[in-house]
Amino acid sequence: MHASTFLVAIFITLQAFSQENTMVLVPDGTYKPFIKGDSKQISVASFFIDEKQVSNADFRKFVKENPQWSKENARKLFVDSDYLSQWESDSTVSKKSASGAPVVNVSWFAAKAYCEWTDRRLPTLDEWEYVAASLPYNSTDTNSIKKLIADWYSRNDTKSNYKNAMGVWNMHGKVWEWVYDFDRIQSNSDSRNKEEVPAGFFCGSASLNASDASDYTSFVRYAFRSSLKGNYTVRNLGFRCAKSK
Amino acid sequence: MKLFIITIFVGTLLMACQQKESASCCSMPTQPKNEKEVTKLPETSLYQLDDAWQTQKGKELKLEEFAGKPTVITMIFTHCEYACPMMVSDLKAVESQFSAEERNKFQFVLVSFDHIRDTPERLATYAAAQKLGENWTLLHGSADQIKELGVLLNISFEQLENLQFAHVNRKILLDKTGSIVYSIEGLETGREEMAVEVRKVW
Repeated sequence: MHASTFLVAIFITLQAFSQENTMVLVPDGTYKPFIKGDSKQISVASFFIDEKQVSNADFRKFVKENPQWSKENARKLFVDSDYLSQWESDSTVSKKSASGAPVVNVSWFAAKAYCEWTDRRLPTLDEWEYVAASLPYNSTDTNSIKKLIADWYSRNDTKSNYKNAMGVWNMHGKVWEWVYDFDRIQSNSDSRNKEEVPAGFFCGSASLNASDASDYTSFVRYAFRSSLKGNYTVRNLGFRCAKSK
Repeated sequence: MKLFIITIFVGTLLMACQQKESASCCSMPTQPKNEKEVTKLPETSLYQLDDAWQTQKGKELKLEEFAGKPTVITMIFTHCEYACPMMVSDLKAVESQFSAEERNKFQFVLVSFDHIRDTPERLATYAAAQKLGENWTLLHGSADQIKELGVLLNISFEQLENLQFAHVNRKILLDKTGSIVYSIEGLETGREEMAVEVRKVW
């Protein structure tokens, strides 16, 4: 092998490693969900989660090896027409979206396929909310998350950069994220353990079920999530992967 | 007369040729097989879901095998006490609006939410108890398969602590190639409408 080729090979390998998303081991624990009906604490078993969101560069690698997920080939059943619209083509990321930035405009099906390709899965809603409730590293102010999110909503950019007490980066402040059961029924205590689905959680009765009516920031997140469909792609919606222990 | 026979003879030959040509065109090596498979279903077809399910008869089946006839599909679980029996009643009420002959022109599919308890055997027992005919298929799949299909059918569901499922009640009509053409939510809804829609697409 020619020396320069060898060096290039090493470089590519290093690049590949640097793109690998480090996973953080999340401990067993509980969290208090936003919906009042679930007002008892929900237990979440220890699992691994990506330290950061999956990046454009990560996702480009996936598309390269799985051409059925390229912009040209991906089927309408699984992705809508804005799929990867921040990319100029399957091989070029436009200047607007740096390769290290979280990949957005990906559907639930595409995100799920990516995680499965790396032998992992999307986090569940409970897992995601549990990690997202972890306070910023070294912070004791229980309102700090709410403040951070409110700031983000008003800025509407991806500049935030914070690590939470679990060692996970930017659960809020950059992009929204897919979860496995994004379409989960938001049942309240009255309908729990019944087969019936409560009528329109976010239509009027909604705010009555919120565990904290002042928690506008969580309300927006839950409302956004429940408005999604599996093939939707949104310009500020990305994802990260998880793995069971 | 002679000319007539020759014409028929040549015509038959030509037809044979055409048939042969069309047969050979499809086995041409220049057309990769998987590419063909990807392109033959419409972009919106649910039959692109490639995983195999198991029927109440224990047969392995891919959704694509439902292609060719319209399909009325919904999701249920057999331990369900309230909503699901009503959903099945709704679909039976749809069926009752068709003659025995017409019933062969479309099919019913019930997919179970309950991948643990609703084994093919259990589904067979349920089909018999509900007196579901030959044009009804009940499907058992993995949790992940069920989730993907639920997302596509817009039937959200959640397993509860008591092993029941909270779920949306929605009946969906797929056309011959597996694209959603009609859907209606609720119990005791859409019985006449569904029958009208089936007649539009068979």
